[in-house]
Amino acid sequence: MLDVATQNAGLAHADMPEDALISVRNLKKYFPIQAGWLKKTVGQIKAIDDVTLDIRKGETFGLVGESGSGKSTVARLMLRAYQLTDGQILFRQADGSVVDLSGLTDRQMRTMRREMQMIFQDPYSSLNPRMTLLQLVGEPMLIHGVGSQSEIRDRVAELLQVVGLRPEYVNRYPHAFSGGQRQRIGIARALALNPSFIAADEAVSALDVSVAAQNINLMQDLQEKFGLTYLFITHDLGMVEHISDRVGVMYLGRLMETAPTDKLFAKPLHPYTEALMAAVPQPDPRGNRTRKRVPLKGEIANAANPPKGCSFHPRCPYAQPICGTDVPALRAVEGGRQVRCHFAEELSLTGVTA
Amino acid sequence: MGSKTMKTFDMPQERLLDVDNVQVHFPLREGLVKAVDGVSYHVNKGEVLGIVGESGSGKSITARSIMRLLPKRAVDAGGQVRMQLRSGEQFDLSSFGRNSRAIRQVRGKHIGMIFQEPMTALSPVHTIGAQIMRTVQLHMGLSRAAARERAIDLLAKVQMPRPEQLVDAFPHQLSGGMRQRAMIALAISCDPALLIADEPTTALDVTTEAQILELLKRLQSELGMAIIFITHNFGVVADIADRVSVMYLGRIVETATVDDIFYAPKHPYTQALLRSIPRLGVDQGRRLPTIPGMVPDPFSVPPGCTFNPRCSHALSGLCDTQTPPEKRFGSQMSRCHIAEQFAQEPVHA
Repeated sequence: MLDVATQNAGLAHADMPEDALISVRNLKKYFPIQAGWLKKTVGQIKAIDDVTLDIRKGETFGLVGESGSGKSTVARLMLRAYQLTDGQILFRQADGSVVDLSGLTDRQMRTMRREMQMIFQDPYSSLNPRMTLLQLVGEPMLIHGVGSQSEIRDRVAELLQVVGLRPEYVNRYPHAFSGGQRQRIGIARALALNPSFIAADEAVSALDVSVAAQNINLMQDLQEKFGLTYLFITHDLGMVEHISDRVGVMYLGRLMETAPTDKLFAKPLHPYTEALMAAVPQPDPRGNRTRKRVPLKGEIANAANPPKGCSFHPRCPYAQPICGTDVPALRAVEGGRQVRCHFAEELSLTGVTA
Repeated sequence: MGSKTMKTFDMPQERLLDVDNVQVHFPLREGLVKAVDGVSYHVNKGEVLGIVGESGSGKSITARSIMRLLPKRAVDAGGQVRMQLRSGEQFDLSSFGRNSRAIRQVRGKHIGMIFQEPMTALSPVHTIGAQIMRTVQLHMGLSRAAARERAIDLLAKVQMPRPEQLVDAFPHQLSGGMRQRAMIALAISCDPALLIADEPTTALDVTTEAQILELLKRLQSELGMAIIFITHNFGVVADIADRVSVMYLGRIVETATVDDIFYAPKHPYTQALLRSIPRLGVDQGRRLPTIPGMVPDPFSVPPGCTFNPRCSHALSGLCDTQTPPEKRFGSQMSRCHIAEQFAQEPVHA
């Protein structure tokens, strides 16, 4: 295990729940806005502003939100693909010791990445077309110096079998495979080093309905088999409800609400969550005719110039004067939920569960 | 417009468009791909026909053949597309050349089209106002000033904020939802009788998608235009369509009213697709029911019913040898040998 664990063992990890695998505390990522010939910084885009969440060992945590809400950035920060501006990322290693990833050097981070992997949306651009499946899936092992040539070959064949591809395919190139199969190659590659945590960024969004369902089932089987913990990022609420144990809803770089999946869909506490659910067209024509669907007004605000107060207030049908001045805090409410709304207790919002 | 418009077809009064046995082939090095293999559907005046199918099913190519906008290497292998306007004027669109004067009169004027990606459909070097003005000046013969007036009216109609200012905006200055509105404004600029919408909300967020669907429904009832709405999303089709056609491997496997498609589907492919979508607020269990296998590659389409290798109801000796005929149940059509079996069987509550 990483010796950094002992280095920062003195730090307060007391607020990391016992059952959490990864905990994010007050995560911030600001991108500078540069202008002029000297690239002077004239402002900041708060891509991620104060995100705090816990992902428990063995669960699937769904992160939903519209494009530009920062959900992918959160995943990339967790894996330290981006340098964070501020905050803590606490990760529990196999021996139980906790590492704060935010303080690690790139070299130290490299060893940690054996534990944390990512699956990407686009199975066409995320696989190098000049590499065979053996090279693609075996690459993580090569980089981390795990196993000999023949061990890597055996492991790749085994991984292909695990994701439902034929082991004879090891010498083929990605172009010979369909989108759904390519996504499976990406999954095999992510599994190569036996990680405990996988961030799946829109992993089935580009796939057709029937193929998406096959891959979702595969991901659930793998979770059971290897005890994986997933961060599942998507804009598809139906998919998130199906696969997640708990869900976080993001808007403009902030977490608006987190809750166990069934509670969130039965009774959202944040007006944005309600609006998002109401906007989803259901494969139920009769239901659509009777359901009251008032489309949300306007568009997501410019992150370089976010509204004062609650970032959702200009579009919120329940907004009060205080919402335009005070930023609501993300606070814990009953039922293991968190919500960032001044009026979460007063409002009675509509979910989707019949 | 020549003698072609004089031709009279036997079309019912309410009929706007008849797509009759259209076939589009792509002769490729690897073999012949029958991207559209005998597709027939009709659109009545003022109705929304939804066309659903997975990628590669031929739904977009069929729509493009209506507009005569097929890719250069595509071969028009037969079929007829007939259109009948409110005035009673009739066209045989399939007889028009790809770039003929006659088809250019129809495109933009009688048929508008919107696409998934407005950035590639709109010109990046012209303002949205200029693009709309050019269309209305060409087809409606308006003066420059009147055309600008109309462009602003159209932008207001598609609920663009500050239309007087945004008329001079370039597409890159607008958000995705606003670009989609600009493209809709352009498509409806000459009051077309038919709007072909090819996955217009697929790239949008759900809240923006809901806004665009509302807008299309409102415009459709205000202008009385018909829409062919192509999508792979069953939720969207349930929301907007009056009737739905389901495509698989270049053929229509089922056509019915939207309620029949969702509550009484009579083709196993439609049934299986509907079961494999995770639904909000409905617990379908831990595993999603899937369709076994995958869409066969277009060079080796299975004989008989093209869906038979993946179908749980397939009968050997029948489904794998004979192409199923179109079976009709009132207004519902299913191309399945055993469609009768599903006549009373509810698929899901």
